[in-house]
Amino acid sequence: MNKNALIMIGIGLVVIILYLLGVGSLFREGNEPMFVAVIVVSLTILYYTNRAKRGEEIYLRPIAGLVALEEAVGRATEMGKSVLFVPGIQDMDQVETVCGLVILGYVASMTAKYEAGLNVPVARSIVMEAARETCKESYLKAGRPDQYYDDMVHYLTDDQFAYAAGVNGIMIREKPAACFYQGKFYAESLILAETGNSIGAIQIAGTGSPAQIPFFVTACDYTLIGEEFFTASAYLSKKPELLGSIKGQDIVKLIGMVLMILVFALNGFNQAGWIDFDITEFITSR
Amino acid sequence: MLMKRQIPLLIVIVVGLITLFGHFIANEGVQNFVDNDSTQWYDIIASFAIFLGGLNLLKLQLLKIYKKQKNWQYSILAVVGFFFAITVGFFFRGANTISVTGINAEKVEQAAEMIAEETGESTSSILSSISDPSADYELQKIYKTHGGAEDFSQKLEAYGETQIEPIEWGAHLSATRGETGSLFNWMFVYIFTPLSATMFALLAFFVASASYRAFRIRNFEATLLLVAGIILMLGRVPIGEYIPAWLIGVFFVMGLGALLAPFIKNRKITLGIVAIGSLIFLIIGFTNGWNPAIPGFFHLPVMQEWIFQVPTTAGARAIMIGIGLGIVGTSFRIIIGIERSFLGEQ
Amino acid sequence: MKQFLNIIIKLGSIDRRYIFILVGLSVLIPLIRPIDIPIRATSQSQDVFNALDALTPNSKVLVSFEYGPSTKPEIHPMSMGILRKLFSDGHKVYATALWPDGIFMSVEALNQTEEEFSLEYGVDYVNLGFRPGNEAVVKGVAADIRTLYTSDTRGNHIDDISMMDGINNINDFDFVFSLSAGYPGTKEWVQYACDPHDIPMSTGCTSIQVTEVLPYVEAGQVKGILAGMPGAAEFEKLVNIPGEATGMMAAQSFAHLVIVAFIIFGNITYFLKRRSDKKNLGEK
Repeated sequence: MNKNALIMIGIGLVVIILYLLGVGSLFREGNEPMFVAVIVVSLTILYYTNRAKRGEEIYLRPIAGLVALEEAVGRATEMGKSVLFVPGIQDMDQVETVCGLVILGYVASMTAKYEAGLNVPVARSIVMEAARETCKESYLKAGRPDQYYDDMVHYLTDDQFAYAAGVNGIMIREKPAACFYQGKFYAESLILAETGNSIGAIQIAGTGSPAQIPFFVTACDYTLIGEEFFTASAYLSKKPELLGSIKGQDIVKLIGMVLMILVFALNGFNQAGWIDFDITEFITSR
Repeated sequence: MLMKRQIPLLIVIVVGLITLFGHFIANEGVQNFVDNDSTQWYDIIASFAIFLGGLNLLKLQLLKIYKKQKNWQYSILAVVGFFFAITVGFFFRGANTISVTGINAEKVEQAAEMIAEETGESTSSILSSISDPSADYELQKIYKTHGGAEDFSQKLEAYGETQIEPIEWGAHLSATRGETGSLFNWMFVYIFTPLSATMFALLAFFVASASYRAFRIRNFEATLLLVAGIILMLGRVPIGEYIPAWLIGVFFVMGLGALLAPFIKNRKITLGIVAIGSLIFLIIGFTNGWNPAIPGFFHLPVMQEWIFQVPTTAGARAIMIGIGLGIVGTSFRIIIGIERSFLGEQ
Repeated sequence: MKQFLNIIIKLGSIDRRYIFILVGLSVLIPLIRPIDIPIRATSQSQDVFNALDALTPNSKVLVSFEYGPSTKPEIHPMSMGILRKLFSDGHKVYATALWPDGIFMSVEALNQTEEEFSLEYGVDYVNLGFRPGNEAVVKGVAADIRTLYTSDTRGNHIDDISMMDGINNINDFDFVFSLSAGYPGTKEWVQYACDPHDIPMSTGCTSIQVTEVLPYVEAGQVKGILAGMPGAAEFEKLVNIPGEATGMMAAQSFAHLVIVAFIIFGNITYFLKRRSDKKNLGEK
């Protein structure tokens, strides 16, 4: 084990011990397992972020949906049609919306590069402002600030189905060649994706809403499923610290899997009466 | 740059850390900030930001009409809808009530009959309500327009002194009893509700066309998806009860035969497996009087429940854990300031 | 025969609008000419019924309305079934709404049940209405409901409502029922209120949402689930009061049958097309 890992483990242990000493006075009772989890997750991600920063190569498997983004924008350009980007129906307090805007930044830099039209209807005013900022920056960085105009990102409505109707209307009237659905979606997902399919657009979806994934998989050409969607920022920017954090996330997942097996075994032993320790009682935070 | 990058980033880091660790700190102030204040601040900002969105919508629609862009006619509808909603929300309450006082004691019955005809109540219940004719009596009917209330109020004046009063500002937006006569409520019930329900109902049609296109026997996984999809679709609704389990068993044997066929060179063996399997299920059906629920494990509702409870839940859990980790990872990157793309940085 | 097969193959690339018409008809006809289809409750609906049935009379039940007009056809029958069960068993109902339009739904459902059961407002039920803040509202109910709700939908001060005596936070409720069509909804009730405070809860949600809520049901954090319109019909069957959902089951059954028929037909044409393509390729 290297020195940095030992330092991280040391920090983690000290913080946890201090926390346990302060439970009841400084810290709330009953949240101990949760605190330990937060510290373990944070330090693991931090450790791998630092390793990546120091130059360790991080491999990220190719994600077809993200690779296809440029291809879709290219196709729209060839066809002389616009690109439609839907950043979900939720506000900026949802991480999915933030991830959607990260992808929007990349798509905007592509549309700026290829001089394709970009249309971003939004369902929340704050998202509108954030998306405008993202697009403006992308066009500026691509060296095409002249092509940017505020109304490429425009507000439709806050209401879920009125928004779906509005976006469908845009699709039917303007027939964009590429439709991207990246963000938090609910029942409108299939309404949007099927309409996009009917106009023959190449469609790439990404969401963290488990119930909507099957709909997108059915109706879209590519779908970023769950975790893939959240890696978009690291994947597209290729920044070492972001790539490192993705590896850290994977290690946390591995720890989670090991713990699951452990909990399964201990719970089984408890139920069989071999041990008295009830693991489910211990890990349930009240 | 300081106002656009460093300060927002500092706010994100500080508030993010307080929110994260506030969950563990035993301090009422911090708890209150995490549970109430921070989210309320966000709501307040979001509420004011609606003006930006609304004005943007209006600007684009008006420009479309002014420039007579393609399909500009639809924009008229959008603008009219916009102003109608604002009018019934902020300027026109509707919901007028009529109250009558000092009813002539001799004419109470006649007045009650007239009110009953208007409100649809029984005369006796109105009479019992007007036990003291000199006291105020409010009609149990709400008029959308002042004119509508005035028409009846004038007729009622022959029996006593009448007064028309609209309900309080703010109450006209509420759904509680008594305010159902407001124009806002009318808009909600007769325009918004059916339009929203129609959009949601479109889902049924899109599910049909999507499944028609996607559920094809292309490979093993697609076949599995198709079979599970059909079992769920039929098993979920009452008609699934009527599809006999023994028949499903026969189909199952046939499917098994199709799967085994590429691996068994002798077709007679495959045919034999299918024939014997089918026969077994037909015998089971016959011996149980063709009971659709036997054998239980091939009964569609039972299979549907199993698919929901075991493989679906397992898959949903795995995806949810992955998504949860993704959210944790992204949030952590934002809190420690390495993820700045949401600020426009790439 | 070849011509017939060609027609079948051509029908395979049928315009989706024809599918829409047939699905529409399959829904419409059973609605115009109702057909009685016996309903059997699934174990998940039965669990909901059992959980509610196990409550002692006079229990305090918080019913949260988290749906709007769009999902009303699917969720509202559940609301009616649940309220009928609760009122017929003599429980006290505290209605809240996490969605702004949920308040319209709760008023409609409660007004109807008030007439059916001759209920008295403030004694048998109270409608606390909508508060903005999504999960913050759930946290608020869990921590201190009186700070969050100072008055009800009728403008009565919370202290003047006798039913609210002794109700300070989620721990004062015996059961929570979430009628949910999305965010915020069932998940938020589990994560921020019921699971941390160990208050039993159950849910009725749209069919789309079921997969998202199922892990909580299977983990025992949610006592059963009414899944979409069939769930509502099953609950109506369990409480023995046929309602709107029961009447809709024939329409839903036929719609599902039509979709399955289309899937099978689509596969037949897919096979025929693949075979004829292979043949053509072989001939070339």
